[in-house]
Amino acid sequence: MTAVVTGIDALQYFIPEFILGITGFAILAAGMFGSSRKVNASITFVSLAASFVYTLTMFNHPVYVLSSTFLLDNFGLYFMLLFLAAGMLITFPAIINISAKSEIFFSLLLFTTVGMIIAASSSNLIVLFVSFEAVSTGTYVMTAFHKTERTLEASTKYFFTGAVSTSIIVLGISYFYEATGTFYLSPSPAIISSGAMLVSLILLVIGFGFKLAIFPMHQWAIDTYDGSENSVSAFLSTGSKLVAFMIMLRVFVSGFYGDANDFYIIFTLLAIVTMTYGNFSALSETNLKRLLAYSSVAQAGYLILVFSAAGYAIGISDTNLMEYAVAAGMIYSLVYIFMKGGAFLAMNLSSTKKVDVSDLSGLNKKSPAAALSLSILLLSLAGIPFTGGFLGKFFLFLALIEVKLWWLAVIAILNSAVSVFYYLRVILVMYRGEPSENIKVSSLGVIPLVVCAAAVIILGVYFALFSTVLGFVGGLFR
Amino acid sequence: MDLALIAWFVFLSPLIAFPLSYFAGLKWKNWSGIIASSSIAVSLILSFILYLYYSVPVHSSYNWFYSFNYGIFVDHLSIAMVMMVSFVSLMIHLFAIYYMGKDPNRHVYFAETSLFTAGMLGLVLSSNLLEFFLFWELVGLCSYLLIGFWFFKPNAASAAKKAFIVTRVGDMSFVIGLAVLYSSLSPLTANPLSIPFLINNMPFVLSVLGSGKLALVSILFLGGAIGKSSQFPLHVWIPDAMEGPTTVSALIHAATMVTAGIYLVARIYPLYYYSGPDVLYTLAIIGSFTAIFAGILGLVVNDIKRILAYSTISQLGYMLSALGLFSVIGLSAVGYAMFHLFVHAFFKAMLFMGAGVILLTLMELRDVKRMGGLWKRMPITVSIIFIGALALSAIYPTAGYFSKDEIISAAYVYMTSSGAWYYALPWIFLTVGAFLTAAYTFRMFFLVALGKPRSELADHAKDPSILVLLPLIPLAILSIIYGFFRGDFLSYLGGSNNLYVPLYIKYLPLTLALLGILVTYLIYGRETWMHMDLSKSRVYSLVKNKFYMDKLFTGSVAERGILPISGKFASFENSYNTDVEKLGRHALDLGTAMRKLQSGVIESYFALIILGSAVVFIIALIVGVI
Repeated sequence: MTAVVTGIDALQYFIPEFILGITGFAILAAGMFGSSRKVNASITFVSLAASFVYTLTMFNHPVYVLSSTFLLDNFGLYFMLLFLAAGMLITFPAIINISAKSEIFFSLLLFTTVGMIIAASSSNLIVLFVSFEAVSTGTYVMTAFHKTERTLEASTKYFFTGAVSTSIIVLGISYFYEATGTFYLSPSPAIISSGAMLVSLILLVIGFGFKLAIFPMHQWAIDTYDGSENSVSAFLSTGSKLVAFMIMLRVFVSGFYGDANDFYIIFTLLAIVTMTYGNFSALSETNLKRLLAYSSVAQAGYLILVFSAAGYAIGISDTNLMEYAVAAGMIYSLVYIFMKGGAFLAMNLSSTKKVDVSDLSGLNKKSPAAALSLSILLLSLAGIPFTGGFLGKFFLFLALIEVKLWWLAVIAILNSAVSVFYYLRVILVMYRGEPSENIKVSSLGVIPLVVCAAAVIILGVYFALFSTVLGFVGGLFR
Repeated sequence: MDLALIAWFVFLSPLIAFPLSYFAGLKWKNWSGIIASSSIAVSLILSFILYLYYSVPVHSSYNWFYSFNYGIFVDHLSIAMVMMVSFVSLMIHLFAIYYMGKDPNRHVYFAETSLFTAGMLGLVLSSNLLEFFLFWELVGLCSYLLIGFWFFKPNAASAAKKAFIVTRVGDMSFVIGLAVLYSSLSPLTANPLSIPFLINNMPFVLSVLGSGKLALVSILFLGGAIGKSSQFPLHVWIPDAMEGPTTVSALIHAATMVTAGIYLVARIYPLYYYSGPDVLYTLAIIGSFTAIFAGILGLVVNDIKRILAYSTISQLGYMLSALGLFSVIGLSAVGYAMFHLFVHAFFKAMLFMGAGVILLTLMELRDVKRMGGLWKRMPITVSIIFIGALALSAIYPTAGYFSKDEIISAAYVYMTSSGAWYYALPWIFLTVGAFLTAAYTFRMFFLVALGKPRSELADHAKDPSILVLLPLIPLAILSIIYGFFRGDFLSYLGGSNNLYVPLYIKYLPLTLALLGILVTYLIYGRETWMHMDLSKSRVYSLVKNKFYMDKLFTGSVAERGILPISGKFASFENSYNTDVEKLGRHALDLGTAMRKLQSGVIESYFALIILGSAVVFIIALIVGVI
């Protein structure tokens, strides 16, 4: 059972946040004395790793703290690990991108991560909202870093769209309060079918969907991923995106409790449009970062298939299938961090800011390891067997098939078939093209790729992970 | 001592050597062979430790996904097999350091052979049939790579393809068998494809599947074994597989590839004897027919390696038919088959390496009719081949005599155990096979060793240094003396040797073999053959054309059967191809059009958000959510 902890004892559950927060201020202070980029990055990495290790010890003791505004269950802890991993992934590659005032960047990274892990440890809409905004604000600044024309444009678009979506979220939350009289996420089935509640759910889909980049709210993502620094793009499309996914899981999995009104249809439509739009737009794109951004939109479409499957499962009151669908989404998120993060970090191999597909031409001749790793990551994004991407899609589509949404699974599979085209195009160019002059191979550029590719391969054969993750989902439904 | 851990490293050691020898070989070519060989030496030592410390079956397995486990299963059968595989493979690797010594791609070669050996060792130790199948495929893949190692030769490339495609037919059957077995058992048991489960719970499996389905599964598995162990009618790939380096042929024929099929049947042998006498008879008849069939083909081939290839097919037939004789020798059938497999591995590896030495000195001249007189010029090599030839022909006291003639005796008892006429066929085939074996073996030997050199190259042939031939010596010794350990071997595998046949039956195969040697000596030992013109004989041309089997497959089945159909499909597809291409172009255009939405103007983004949200609300209204 979930224990309730009050008073000063509650502080021990915030040690991961404290580690990151205090280190963040320490880095800022050290920056005044001129600490180097590498030192700052190392400190950041160590504190993220320490926080990661401490989080590992917190598993299997679900607990409510601070008047139940915070809930530390295995589901949230799992996502905390993912966010910390996403942070660690970009720490060292960021050295390449961040030329000045690195202490500000790294402390921002830490503060943003604090926002993320707070989001992962709450089931109260106000806390979720505030932490979500903390993540947004942190990433606005990270996007605008260096204040060049490109980054400023990227950040402006991100910020304004974010502002719109924030207002939509607030509107959604007020409808939620109107319907339930509380900010806690465990409404009873009777309330759920009320009109105000459903309006609230739709508004929240749109509001949180902005960060996830699902169809009508995706347009900022293309420009922002393209315009910001490579490691920031990687962070936006992994950590920050998964925060939205995690919050949506929290909100909608509880919100679906008794989905008598076929709410899953909304998600299904959004998923189809998002996948199709992302994949088809990427087909003829020549700017590699934009291509990855479109693919990131398509991946968001795959992610929200989870809600279709889970919603349908709960509509036929089958909790097992619902847990299965959610676990599939969680596995996909884990793999997604490495494959998408790694792919964006691969942009560091090009010396230009705007990376075209042809800029990586002949990469194989300059760095076989980088070419092979990037190929593995792209194949994983396409869902080729023996990569983590295959496993994620496998469980996801299996969840759809289990709930008898055959046609949706077919659409999703056709979509990933389409996506193979543009991923293979990049691989072809890397192996067949003449070496491009813009390739700049450095150990900081290559090592993260190799790490991500290795992680993707390991996840691709480690089937047993699924049953572990399935065990984490149980805490979601009370 | 943790035997499970040791068993893991038996096959992990060459697996680790696979990348190591490649990458080390990129820089220091000569190291790759040393790394590969020492990794297999480690496997050999570990298998010996397993042998020494073994007390009860070791089964360690982990869940992979669903009800599929991976792990290792160690019992007497697998211990014996890993010792043989690692030993023979080590000898071949040591020899290959010399044999492949000048090849510019030898690091690739050694990486692939260590992967090949790792695949075979993993297959032997598998605890689950699915895992077994994966290693089985790994072995198949490596054989493809190695047969086509000299891929720039068109023959080698097409031979590799042929080997891969023909064994694929068998693999298909194997995998269908796995599916049938899995789907029948999975509702009732947690881990249906686990090997220890299958061999210990046959009554349960039989009660679930029923005898008909069990027989079906056994036959489907047999299909896999026939493909891998090149039995009739899937034997056609082996002779072409001779296009690879000779050491690869030695590996394939002795240690790693073709024995896998026999081992599969032996591994899950309970499945076969629970399937009933008809299935067992199928084993016996396919094996014995292959034995005689390949023997006849071996008589007319002139390529020294192909003669050995046909002899392998024929000897594998003996092993398979031994496995079919359960009704008279009981569980010893496994021992009978495995013992012949071992002995065959020893002398066949030796024969191939001996042939390899000859080919190296004769610059890849393979036609035995252009050799001759080599005994005087290469005394050590040819003596070793002589020992191999004696063992292959099963002449007392070589090990071949003990392993093969006992199978023939068992086939005799099998015949007398039933009145039906067709129970006599295995014995007749195998006995005639004994004559044929001696005949084709010594035809090759006499053509190689005696007479006058019939080509310039053969005239200048010379023995290589004794150091090179060193790996062949242990194999030669084993080929001679191993027969005396037959009793121990059988009891180690849980069988016994208590077969009684009349003396004249017992010595009939030996007599026939000696007769075979005599006949061939009269023809080929004394140059009589030069005056014979067989080209007009219709029997000769029938055999020379391999009974038109290859023609049947490539001509009738492929060219007249499959190709016209696929041609129709192709033209069908062609007419749609243009449409499909259009579809692709339209998809690209659609994407480009969609991207027009991405104007870069933020006001239009807001417009889309508001419009999109409105549409979502409208849809929600329409479907009745609100």
